[in-house]
Amino acid sequence: MKQRVLWPAAVVVALALAGCGSATGNEPPSNSASGKLVVWDWKSSDKTATAYVEKAKADFAAKHPGVTLEFVAQPFDQYYTLLGAAIQAGKGPDVMMFNGGGQIRDRVDALVPLDQYVAPDKERLAGWDAFTKDGKAYASPVTLQGHPIYFNKDLYKKAGLDPQKPATTWDGFTADCAAITKATKASCFALGNKEGIGIQFFLSAFGSGILTPQEYDDWIAGRRDWNSPNVKKVFQLWKDVNDQGLNSKGGNSTTMFTDAFGIFQSAKATNIIGLMSDIGHWKDFNEFIGPDNLGVMKSPVITAGTTPSLPFDGGIGYGVAKWTKDPALAADLVRSLTSTDALTTFYTNAGAVVSDTTVKTTDGGVAVTAIVADLKTGKPALHVALSSKTIELMGRLSQQILEGSVSVDAALKQLGESDRS
Amino acid sequence: MSAERLAPFVLIAPAVLVIVLFRLWPLLLGVNFSFTGDGDRNGAAVGLDNYTELFADPLFLGALRNVGWLVLLLPVAVAIPGMLATFIYLRVPGHRLYRSVYFFPAVLSPVIVGSIFNLLLSFDGPLNSVLDVVGIEPVDWLGDSKVALFTVVGVHVWATFGMALVVFLSGFATLDPALLDAARSDGAALPQVIRHVIIPGLSRTIQFVFVTTMIGMLTSMFGLIYVMTSGGPGGSTYLPEYYIWIQQGQMNRPAFASAASTVLFLVMLVVGLAQVSFLRRTGKED
Repeated sequence: MKQRVLWPAAVVVALALAGCGSATGNEPPSNSASGKLVVWDWKSSDKTATAYVEKAKADFAAKHPGVTLEFVAQPFDQYYTLLGAAIQAGKGPDVMMFNGGGQIRDRVDALVPLDQYVAPDKERLAGWDAFTKDGKAYASPVTLQGHPIYFNKDLYKKAGLDPQKPATTWDGFTADCAAITKATKASCFALGNKEGIGIQFFLSAFGSGILTPQEYDDWIAGRRDWNSPNVKKVFQLWKDVNDQGLNSKGGNSTTMFTDAFGIFQSAKATNIIGLMSDIGHWKDFNEFIGPDNLGVMKSPVITAGTTPSLPFDGGIGYGVAKWTKDPALAADLVRSLTSTDALTTFYTNAGAVVSDTTVKTTDGGVAVTAIVADLKTGKPALHVALSSKTIELMGRLSQQILEGSVSVDAALKQLGESDRS
Repeated sequence: MSAERLAPFVLIAPAVLVIVLFRLWPLLLGVNFSFTGDGDRNGAAVGLDNYTELFADPLFLGALRNVGWLVLLLPVAVAIPGMLATFIYLRVPGHRLYRSVYFFPAVLSPVIVGSIFNLLLSFDGPLNSVLDVVGIEPVDWLGDSKVALFTVVGVHVWATFGMALVVFLSGFATLDPALLDAARSDGAALPQVIRHVIIPGLSRTIQFVFVTTMIGMLTSMFGLIYVMTSGGPGGSTYLPEYYIWIQQGQMNRPAFASAASTVLFLVMLVVGLAQVSFLRRTGKED
């Protein structure tokens, strides 16, 4: 028995002392045989994205007739795990899809800076910031992702309010909510925070109404003061909104994707902080509550002197792997995937607000028109600037704040520490 | 060396090679990998840094504490199939039906079970509606950190007790009915029959169910956690496996995840050795 314990112990000590070598090769071999590019994403198998991928393929084939393309659609919830394994192995796809923000910034070591290849697209496409680290762009944006506050005009009308003029101050907003809840029993917000995503949307949607423009820009630039009164106000408001019963019940056990959207779609809540692209966006909501009943607003003014704006960033984009044989060829595929033609198709079929600012969106209803109009004054979303580690912590703390097991101050202290490390 | 003496080694070689190549070697690589860094320090030796960080992370400590809860809840998870098997053995009305009904959940995958219970246990779901009718305040079964872990364990027990039930029933088959009849004619009540006849008669079976249920709880809760709570709320339902998955997949920290895996392996080793010695000791009694 003694020996059985001693042996593994000896091995562990030996390994600890050695402590060398990693599973990562330093000179990753390329697996892109000449004339073939492999693309990983989680979109190309969606029915709504098929035509988009076909358009991009055709565009690329016209430029490089000899190259075959293979699109591998991975399940989204496994995507970064699989990609992590590929990065560890130093081989995998030539071109891969990324979410903007932390997910790509954590992995730029495995990517080729694209600036020299995609320079002609810089003006036409918006949303580069989310794919940029230290001044270099690592992916071309395909869609824009942001957090408009959608509201149900029908519920406003039922409560005798004017849906064309939603309140622009917090007091006015909560008063409207109270009136609507009294008349229709609909809660003010549909909240889904089971995945810890509710707080991300909340922070970004109301951030521009709480932080001063200076504080906002500092936050995005990485100078984040977690002790400032206005940052505290965001998290205090998160708690107060729940304590005052403005949220739909059971937020911590309700998924944002897609139970919370369901609550809004079935008119059980007046407002929801949604998305611009993918799902939980204007096109989904149009189907349930009708294009004429769907309104969009920016954050009400919560701190006097702020100018609320639409928070948005590059949503998803395509980057090029470091181990690809011919980065210029792979970058050309990225350019085809972000061509105006392809993106127009993506907008039409999937309802995504695409990165191409020249795509026409006038036929999609009032809500999308309002969103696109707000892009000009929009700013990067606050939560996208955070690392995935801090985002994950914020998700957990937000649940504990709602429960009352962690105070706002204690949460901010932890978040500040995580953000600095 | 003569061919005759060589033969046994040749014969066991495939099995040994498979174990060494596909079990031990990757295990050692993983342990070695856990002493290296992630991100900027990729591949560099960092000594025990990962382990220091791991044991300073309240989330990981919480996950280990939850393992402790699972061990404490083990008697309940064994008692439930034991009781139900006893009733079936004592031929309560409808026992034939119950025997097949109880086994049914065991054939469902954790993802399906989790999805079903997500619907049943949601805040505005059927269970809370029933509670409302009898005047009990709704409970946020999966959204309250004091309740969520027990909810998930409860669902796990529901989903897996069928297998233990079958083992118990086969144990009952070896029980001498004459003992029961003797106890009854001596005027023993049901609790006394269970206490003095059934439990001693089934001790081997009970031990076996303990061991298999423990292994099941420690190794196959991931699916339910993933589907039902995502580790939440506030990290209260994290288990080490889920923590490892998050660190590797979401945080892109494979070396750190290897350190957590190594700790989980050691925990399982201790539990496993304890169980082996436990079984060996009880085996000697016969």
